[in-house]
Amino acid sequence: MSKLFSNMTTQKKLGLLALILGFFAVFAGSPYETNKITINAKDLALMAQKDVDNVSVQQVADWIIKGNFDFRIIDTRSPKEYADYHIPMAQNIQLSALLNQNFYPTDKLILYSDNSEKATQAWLLLKAKKFKNVYILKDGLNAWKDKILFPKMPANPSEGQMAEFNKIKEVSKFFGGTPQTGKRGEQGQKKVKKMPKLKLPAAIPQGAPHKKRREGC
Amino acid sequence: MMAPFYKFGLFGSEVSLIVAFIIGIGFGFFLERAGFGSARKLAAQFYFRDMAVFKVMFTAIVTAMIGLFYFAWIGWLNLSLVYLTPTFLWADLVGGLILGVGFVVGGYCPGTSGVACVTGKIDGYIFVLGLFFGIFAFGEAFPWIEGFFNAAPMGQITLSQLLDIPYGVLVFIVVLIALGGFLLAEKVEKYFARKDAEKAL
Repeated sequence: MSKLFSNMTTQKKLGLLALILGFFAVFAGSPYETNKITINAKDLALMAQKDVDNVSVQQVADWIIKGNFDFRIIDTRSPKEYADYHIPMAQNIQLSALLNQNFYPTDKLILYSDNSEKATQAWLLLKAKKFKNVYILKDGLNAWKDKILFPKMPANPSEGQMAEFNKIKEVSKFFGGTPQTGKRGEQGQKKVKKMPKLKLPAAIPQGAPHKKRREGC
Repeated sequence: MMAPFYKFGLFGSEVSLIVAFIIGIGFGFFLERAGFGSARKLAAQFYFRDMAVFKVMFTAIVTAMIGLFYFAWIGWLNLSLVYLTPTFLWADLVGGLILGVGFVVGGYCPGTSGVACVTGKIDGYIFVLGLFFGIFAFGEAFPWIEGFFNAAPMGQITLSQLLDIPYGVLVFIVVLIALGGFLLAEKVEKYFARKDAEKAL
């Protein structure tokens, strides 16, 4: 057998190698099986504990207003909830569909749900799939409602607090919210919080931006 | 670390040009070493006198295919991020025919004409001039052929998706076709060498 092998020409040896590798490819399974993931559990645990991948609603609102569109916002809630209201520019992608998206590994993704729960699960999935820039919107849409759409004026505000609130009021108006000044209506009577209609401020382009990359030949 | 490096952000587009340059030099070098800087050798393929083009190309296909398959299988490469040129059935068919006819008549394909140029072959220079003229003519005529150009789009499809057979099975089939092709190519070369020898007598 070994003599037979040593008598072979290099071409024949390479041909045999190709044949063997090709044969085993039949049983190797699909190379596209990319849903298998490996995670460094310790790294992930540390990142989750330290909240390093959190962004605040104020931060995201600021980016949107400033026209910083180098990120994609992903709404992980149900399509119905998404249709009712979503943060401007957000795309609706649920957890099960998240892994089939063709994001680039370098894309900056901001995930949100009602609170942080579903977004955190999505974050874990994407992190495990080696996406580097994945962030969770801290406290999700609840925080967006409380702090951006319907910010409350603090009772007996100091001058500094007042200035702060006036700033937030502008942000809120930009997104079609109604700041809760507490001036109108009597104390204790709850003002109806009406969700803004899904009309984006004029300054924001419709739909998530898509970076085009050069590829192919 | 996982490939493709560019898409995982390991380097930017500037460095990618340098990488492309190095790979391009390597490609040209091996084309030249295979003898593909000579129109005679290339054209001999179409008369079945020299099957080197077939052998080199199929060797490259099989090597790349097995390499990519096992790299992805091991987890070094994310195959779904490797760019595939979208298929447009009719345009691809006609384009392939034009390239084939040009290959027989001119003696080069676009890549090998570059190699011929670099090695100082005059027909190589003429070929490349024609190539640029063709690109220019195509660009000018594009509005008229745009409909045809975009007809029957099939997307970024692979053989294993089209035929609906597992990827690994397809790899094996292509290897068998290649090895069978090599054996046949040797036979064909010998047959024509004998025929030519008889004719010369």
